[in-house]
Formats: sequence, structure tokens, C-alpha cells
Amino acid sequence: MNEHLRCEGIRVSFGGVVACDDISLTVEKGKIIGLIGPNGAGKTTLFNVLTRFQPYESGSVFHDGENIDALRPHEMVHRGLARTFQNINLFKDQTTLRNIMTGGHSLMGDPLQAMLWTPSARQKEREIEDRALEIAETLNLTSELENEVGNLPYGYQKRVELGRALASKPSILLLDEPVAGCNDDETAELQEIIRKVNTELGVSVLLVEHDMKMVMKVCDYIYVINFGSNLAQGTPEEIRKDPEVIKAYLGEEEHV
Amino acid sequence: MDAHKDNSPTAQDSQTDLPRNRTQAVRDLKRRFMRNDILFSALFFLAMLAAPLFPDVKGWMLSQASLVIIYIIAAMGVLVLVGFTGLVSVGHGGFLAIGAYTSALLTLHLNVDLVVGIVAGMAMAGLIGAVLALIFLRLSGAFMAIGTLGFAFFVGTILNNVPFFQGRDGILLDANHVLGIEIGDHGFYYVSTICLVLVTLFVFALVNSGTGRAFMALRDAEKAAMASGVNRLKYRTLAFTLSAAITGIAGALNAHVVNYVSAEVFADIWYSVDILMAVVVGGSTVIFGPFLGGFFVVMLPFFFEQLADFSFILKGVVLILVLRFAPAGIMELLVRPLKNARRRRLRKIGGSMAAEEAE
Repeated sequence: MNEHLRCEGIRVSFGGVVACDDISLTVEKGKIIGLIGPNGAGKTTLFNVLTRFQPYESGSVFHDGENIDALRPHEMVHRGLARTFQNINLFKDQTTLRNIMTGGHSLMGDPLQAMLWTPSARQKEREIEDRALEIAETLNLTSELENEVGNLPYGYQKRVELGRALASKPSILLLDEPVAGCNDDETAELQEIIRKVNTELGVSVLLVEHDMKMVMKVCDYIYVINFGSNLAQGTPEEIRKDPEVIKAYLGEEEHV
Repeated sequence: MDAHKDNSPTAQDSQTDLPRNRTQAVRDLKRRFMRNDILFSALFFLAMLAAPLFPDVKGWMLSQASLVIIYIIAAMGVLVLVGFTGLVSVGHGGFLAIGAYTSALLTLHLNVDLVVGIVAGMAMAGLIGAVLALIFLRLSGAFMAIGTLGFAFFVGTILNNVPFFQGRDGILLDANHVLGIEIGDHGFYYVSTICLVLVTLFVFALVNSGTGRAFMALRDAEKAAMASGVNRLKYRTLAFTLSAAITGIAGALNAHVVNYVSAEVFADIWYSVDILMAVVVGGSTVIFGPFLGGFFVVMLPFFFEQLADFSFILKGVVLILVLRFAPAGIMELLVRPLKNARRRRLRKIGGSMAAEEAE
């Protein structure tokens, strides 16, 4: 097994509520891994643990086999781990181009050189811009490069956020509900993009998602959590048939 | 994109149809806009440098003009912090005082060159700013504002009570000299203007660099900035340091504009308020905002001389009106039509669907 990102025995509680209790998960290199579970299962909490935005009481996170418990959120991207947010988190008054270029911050180098426009800094700035333009083309955003992202429709904003994450040349992408709130067309488009990023650039992907159809289609391997614990794991086929999973999801639907 | 292809029958349109051509066209247009800005700014600064050639511009008028420039430079420092990094400081008068006394004391005791005094004032203010940033940046929002205000009071108290700074008696300085040559009001005006040009150039380079992008990222969406790899403490400390250093330049100049520093002037908290006000009234998101703001803050009392003490009230009224009707400042209000027109053109050339919808 060729592990890329792994967590072990993660426990997080908010006051008396245990959001994650002894959860373990492994993202393999070059694979698309899904993380699913009913509402309130602790998906986003676990996601934030993996991206270091959420402190945890016990357990450890490993990247390329190295313990990264001590890393701070802004250091993740320098190690090749880029993330998006569940609720779109963009620089709304700035243009699409600037948003994506900001994602390339980790490639910028020394801030003092950058602000003085030294030749090497200008070279890097051009590289960051070129990369942003390339990404915009891949994500079908070229037409909106000079538009403030606050003006853009929801599906576009989702893509801009993905673009910002991609700008850092990540080796692993962590996406928190990338298609939440998107219509069918937008979902299909994002699905295609995620697959493209995975196959063409070899980027590993961890996907937290509610849209079961999409998860089943796109993921190589799926982890199901419920009430803050591991419930099941397996290929989409196995998960579809898993009685525990069916119970967790059907059980939820019975109440609806 | 496809829909647009169908709608563009002319040869020129089909040429710009390819995304790459469009991107290049957008780039060219942006470069042209920037060239225009630089050209306009260069003309403006040339006019400033030429102003003293008019025979009427001398004496009081000239030192008043220098004072306006000093306020603009001080406000540029605040602009970096408030406008581009989204942090509030109500205590930049403290950095102004540090710059002023650093240069004044060096001139008094070591008889240094004016240029050395300015550089020293900048360095000292920047250094103290860097240290203080580590304290202030742990506070957020209103607490940071109060913290910086406390700093300004602290500096004022030191100036008033530590004998080394000669309190309210003040320090009287000899005439200014640059490279061994004594300079008068004219020379000083040129020195101030050159400082302003350099500061403006620097701020322009800063906000158009990746470093400025990181500042603005922290201002607009902190979590997204961190996810992009921006080290919050590092970049805010840098912004605070640069801001303090720029205001330190203004402070050093302020000491030499009348060749006199005293606690009566520099311990005054209104200094800090005026500098902040110059940014808020002038415009906190455009580089030329402080130009208007600095002029406003220095000259307003003179336009309403008969009202004398009421100028405070007048400033307050203007501040309220600006915050109500042009929260981003008057300069922003003035350049907005131009900015919007440019954005529309860029969007149109880029083939934005939002632009097409608007048509």
C-alpha cells in the first residue's frame, strides 16, 4: 500500500459532544478517496483535522509517512496539501485571476524580494500568473478572469476555489463538499474536472461529499463514518452493498 | 464560449475568439491601463516638483506644502496597514514621533545629514513597529485599535517626562543640510517630494506584488489565505513594520520642516487621529487616497480660518459624511467611474458571460 495521507485514532470533542472518536483513514497515492456519512457524522471535523485547521485531543496525522501533528494550517500547502472549504471561502472583491494567483502563494518565495520586484521575484510572479491562466483554462474560467468572483454564479465560484487550491501545485487535494449546492450540470462538470486532475496530474484526492451518486462514480475507495466513528470502508461496490451502511442511511431516511 | 463564437461574425472577433488570444488581449489592455496610470502619476509628480518655480510659491506657503506632503507620507504608512491589510491603528502618531525624535536627536548630537536623519527615522520606527507588532497582532479588531492608541499615549508620556527628550521645551535644530549643503524651504520641499515619490513607488510595487496579494488575502478571507499558505503572523508583522517605517519617514521630515520638535506637538494624540482620518477621508483602497486626505487634513483649518476652533467639529462632520456616503473614501468615489469602465472593457475582451448579460 502506497500511503499519501493517513490519520490514526483521531479524537475531537466540542465540550461534551464527541465529534470524532478514534477515526482512522488512509489516502493512497494517486487515488480518489471518498469520505461519506450521514449529517453530523463528523466528516467536516475530520476533514479539518487532516488539514490542520482543527486541533485534536488524541491521534496523529501522517503525510508521506511523516508525522505532521505539529504543522500549522498555512504550512500544509507548502507540503503539497491544498484544500477547499465547504462554504465557499474566496476573496470576493478580487478578480478570478487574483484569487487563483493567491493560491500560488507557496511558489512566491521571499516576500521582501517579491515586494521589491527583484528579477528572480518577477520571474516567479510570471510563473504564478502563467500557471493561474493555465488552470483557468482547464476549469473553463478564462472568460471570467477579470471578473470579481463575488459577481459570479455559484458553480463558477466553486471552480474558482478549486482553481485556487490547484494553483499551489498540490500533490494531494482535500475537497470539502465540492459539489454541494450545484445543479446537475455543474456537478457533472466538477466531477469531470476532479477526475482529470487525478488522472492527468496524478494528484491524490480526498473528497468529503453528500452527493452519493457522484461519490460512487468518482471515488476509488470510500470511507463511511457515523456518529464520529469508522463504520465501513471499501470500494464503491462494497459500500453500496454493505448492510451497516444501508442501515445508517436508510435509518436516517426512515425518520425523514 | 461556444455560444459566443456563434455570435461573432466579424473577422476581428474571430481572431480574439481563441481563449489564448483573448488572454493575451486582456494582458495587453491591463498593461496599457498600468502605463496610463504611471504616465499620469509621473506628470503629477513633475507638476509637484515644478510648483516652486512659480515666484509666489515661497516661505510659509512652501513649508505648508511640505507639511501636506509629510501628512501624505504618514497616511501612506497607515494605508498599507488599514487599506491593504485590514488592520486598524489609531496610534501611528507614535511612529511619527519616533521618526521625528530619532532624526532630531541625531542631528542635535551628531549633526548628521538630513538624508541620514530620514533613513534613521524610518529604520527606528520600523524596528519598534516590528517589536510592537508581536504584541498588537495578538489582539484583534477593536482591541488592536485600543492597543495602538495606548502606544501613542505611551510615547507621548515618555516624550513629556524623560529629560533626554527635553519635554515641552523642545529641541531646536540648526538649518537642514544635504550632502554638506545647507538647504532652505525650497530644498526641503524637494527633499519631501522625492521622499513622497519613493514612498508612492514602493507602495505601488508592494500592492502589485505577491506580498501585497498576501496582505489583501488576509484582509478579505483569513482562512482562505491560510489555506493558500499565507503565514498570518509573518505577513501581518511585515505589514505593520513597513507601515511604521513609512510613517517614520514622515516623522523625520516633520522634525525638520520647522527645525523644531517638542512634546507639545508630538505627544498630541490628535496627530494619530489626523493621520488615520487622512486615509479614511481620502480613500483607503487607492494609492492616491492619502494625497487627497493629507491635503484635506492639513488645509481644512486654513480654508475656514474664521471658524478657528470649530475646525475640529468641521473635520468630524466631514468624517461622518464620508463614512455615510463614500465609505471607501473620496478618492475612491472619484476614480470609481474610471475603474468600472476599465473593468467592463477587460471583462468584455475576456468574453465574460456576465459582461454579455449586461449588454
